[in-house]
Amino acid sequence: MPDRCPRGFDERLLSGYLDGELTQGDEQRVTVHLESCPHCKELLADLDRNREATMSTRFTPPPDLQWDELPRSGGSLLLRRLGWWLAAPWLVLVAGYGLWEAWRGVAGAFDRILTFGGITALVLLFLSVLFDRLRDARTDRYREVKR
Amino acid sequence: MTLTAPDAPALERQWVDGAREGDVAAREQLAQFCHRLAFLAALQLSGNREDAKDLAQDAMVRFFASLDRFDTGRPLRPWLFRIVRNLYRDRLRRRRIRRTSSLDDDEHPVQMQVADGAASPEDCTARHELQRILWEELQQIPTHYREVVVLRDYQDLAYSEIARILRLPRGTVMSRLHRGRQMLRSAVRRRAGSPAEEDDDA
Repeated sequence: MPDRCPRGFDERLLSGYLDGELTQGDEQRVTVHLESCPHCKELLADLDRNREATMSTRFTPPPDLQWDELPRSGGSLLLRRLGWWLAAPWLVLVAGYGLWEAWRGVAGAFDRILTFGGITALVLLFLSVLFDRLRDARTDRYREVKR
Repeated sequence: MTLTAPDAPALERQWVDGAREGDVAAREQLAQFCHRLAFLAALQLSGNREDAKDLAQDAMVRFFASLDRFDTGRPLRPWLFRIVRNLYRDRLRRRRIRRTSSLDDDEHPVQMQVADGAASPEDCTARHELQRILWEELQQIPTHYREVVVLRDYQDLAYSEIARILRLPRGTVMSRLHRGRQMLRSAVRRRAGSPAEEDDDA
């Protein structure tokens, strides 16, 4: 049996034929062609058998499939947002105060390590999020969906 | 429990509307239904149970974050599948997808069943074997063919819906679907001992 239809028929139409997705004209073309082409007839039979096996497969999710994050109430979401809005300026204030103390020379070695370590960590976290966002902006084809 | 779609799109709309208005029961039902759908789609795309769980979790976060923008006049499944598919693509790009695992996981099996209850035991065995081979080979074909086969043959979506999800012309959907099916056919014949057909994926 040759790999392709010996009569050069467009075999893609066979899939559309199986799925009932062809125009009336194309469906007629396939029907007529199948009457005289054993290659395409066999291909169609195989595709049909595989398709039926696939479509009749039933999956059962595992019993441990749980999603505990929902439902979130509007109240908890509001509190979370409020918490972040308060935490962000607090972090900036603490970091700024630490920098100010270090610049004045009042802070000891331990305080300086805490200040610069914390600021460096924040900058690294910020950069990592920034890089992810930039990459997503270039590649994510589903930009309209908010994270 | 086998996954089934809601009886009518009206039920989906009811859940979505209820969830938007803060109805906890509707939100729970929507979350349960969508989480299972997302897991199934993710499993079929990734072929890995753990990846599917992670993808389904992420998909749910995105789904509920964008719920207010969902058009209830349109079907829910394509919207959800699109989220899962894009998350899967993201993970592929980051190479965070594990290798394919067997469905017969010892701890939490993901079962495949032959739906045709009237078939003889021999037919059932043969059908089950074919399903298993098709599942294993599905994970071996390139992603852009696999996702079309999954959406059509496992999720039973129309070409027009697949075209919308993947943002492809309808003709390309048909081409990729046929090419993917032919790859699966070649693999099945090869494993059955028949002479394998030439794989011309050029």
